Amino acid sequence: MKLIAVSAGLGSPSSTRLLADRLTAATLMHVDAEPEVIELRDLATEIARHFTTGFPPARLAAALDAVAAADGLIAVTPVFAASYSGLFKSFFDVLDKDALTGKPVLLGATGGTARHSLATEHALRPLFTYLRALAVPTAVYAASEDWGEEGLDRRIARAGAELARFMAPADRAGAPDTDTAAAIAPRSLTGAITSVDPADGFEVVPFAQRLEALRVR
Amino acid sequence: MQFGIFTVGDVTPDPTTGRVPSEHERIKAMLAIALKAEEVGLDVFATGEHHNPPFVPSSPTTMLGYIAARTENLILSTSTTLITTNDPVKIAEDFAMLQHLADGRVDLMMGRGNTGPVYPWFGKDIRDGIDLAIENYALLRRLWDEDTVTWKGKFRTPLQSFTSTPRPLDGVAPFVWHGSIRSPEIAEQAAYYGDGFFHNNIFWPASHTRQMVNLYRQRYAHYGHGTPEQAVVGLGGHVFMRRNSQDAVREFRPYFDNAPVYGHGPSLEEFASQTPLTVGSPQQVIERTLSFRDYVGDYQRQLFLMDHAGLPLKTVLEQIDMLGEEVVPVLRKEFASLRPAGVPDAPTHSARVAAARETPKEKTQA
Repeated sequence: MKLIAVSAGLGSPSSTRLLADRLTAATLMHVDAEPEVIELRDLATEIARHFTTGFPPARLAAALDAVAAADGLIAVTPVFAASYSGLFKSFFDVLDKDALTGKPVLLGATGGTARHSLATEHALRPLFTYLRALAVPTAVYAASEDWGEEGLDRRIARAGAELARFMAPADRAGAPDTDTAAAIAPRSLTGAITSVDPADGFEVVPFAQRLEALRVR
Repeated sequence: MQFGIFTVGDVTPDPTTGRVPSEHERIKAMLAIALKAEEVGLDVFATGEHHNPPFVPSSPTTMLGYIAARTENLILSTSTTLITTNDPVKIAEDFAMLQHLADGRVDLMMGRGNTGPVYPWFGKDIRDGIDLAIENYALLRRLWDEDTVTWKGKFRTPLQSFTSTPRPLDGVAPFVWHGSIRSPEIAEQAAYYGDGFFHNNIFWPASHTRQMVNLYRQRYAHYGHGTPEQAVVGLGGHVFMRRNSQDAVREFRPYFDNAPVYGHGPSLEEFASQTPLTVGSPQQVIERTLSFRDYVGDYQRQLFLMDHAGLPLKTVLEQIDMLGEEVVPVLRKEFASLRPAGVPDAPTHSARVAAARETPKEKTQA
């Protein structure tokens, strides 16, 4: 199994990355998975290029594919202006709209003060609900002060256990659970494809089936 | 193999002078470009269709009818004709009329259109885009292939005993290409009917173009129209040439940097490495274009985008001169020598009429 952590931290060292690593370790206590961290800072210009050209450069395409193929996802952002950072949102803007459907996701955020601790609930959770991800109940917010206090480690442990519980091997045989109307809608200019070169190519609905669906009785 | 040019018909300021052509100037420029294409021996001129500024070609068959009267050999086509928001009855009539005016030198490319508001302006919903393309085209086919049509569908007023006039020239409808950049549903549609598939690859990496064309080829064979290699494929191209490649880069860069589609994004060099854009000498354009067959196989139609991003008419006409005199003759020879037996020629009206006479097509029941 594959566990991907997406970190939108900008500093080095970054407390956002630190939280992503702690959440990864807590999850791996309960599930045997291969972890990988995607640092959005390294992809910032490629993300911007995707917006201007409509297709992802190679490294970004690989990152988008990795997220789409992950069995579990940890998504951590710094809080900027009372919400997720623009870089964090931009990455999920260029991700295929169906890539996270049904995928267990652990949400995390960091900030300078505890006053933003509900950003995980009012900003992050609706975004992942829209993407039809399965956001686990415990989201972890870490203010600067939390790194010196008790409590953060317990929340991290609980969140990791929740993510691990939902990462059981999924039934890969079934078709992806996508809304039909949305799936046949034209792609938006920036809505993008997950990758320009997915390994398994396209799934084709036989044309006769499409004609039949339009038949007026 | 056919070579030609396709135009978007955008009115774009020349970034080097700030000058904006009037709509009238732009329309006349498109006509001059089409006549130049005929003069230098290109095979095809295709115009886009748009219903919003800064684009002028809202009425393609009017424009193509004019060009038909001024040319002898050029095939008149579209890139694309909106199968979603146009009434398929009007498409059937307009293009059959054009076919008669042009003595058969007509084909057309179906497209859905990517401008959101055009759908509601024409009373449609963009979320129905694929279904509109499927239903409208199914009706268009019948209007051309059957003399009398009784029809009921989801999106259009029913028809009782309707005959679309004029009937297609020689009883053979214009050849149809289906253009799509990202939708496998449209590659599937083209394959189902055994029509052509045009991938406008100019803003896309080779890996994506390969995947779309490959899907179409496989499904073409699946539906029994021939081998995958016999499927009818068209591609775009996007070039700017000067004898010396540094001169081409220097002259084109301000146009690239400010172009409506990709301007203010990647650098010219990055974009040229990731997409078919070629800015350089005619020899470089020849080599790049020949490389397309490495990833899509032998194909039938190559259209170049030449007149966009605010390039002045004089420059565009020089480009078409170079294309017709230096690039296309070499490409014709090279592609022909590389092409294995069994790969079909690009479709023409006369060849299709001859084929139809050999094997009379059974008409489907109304």
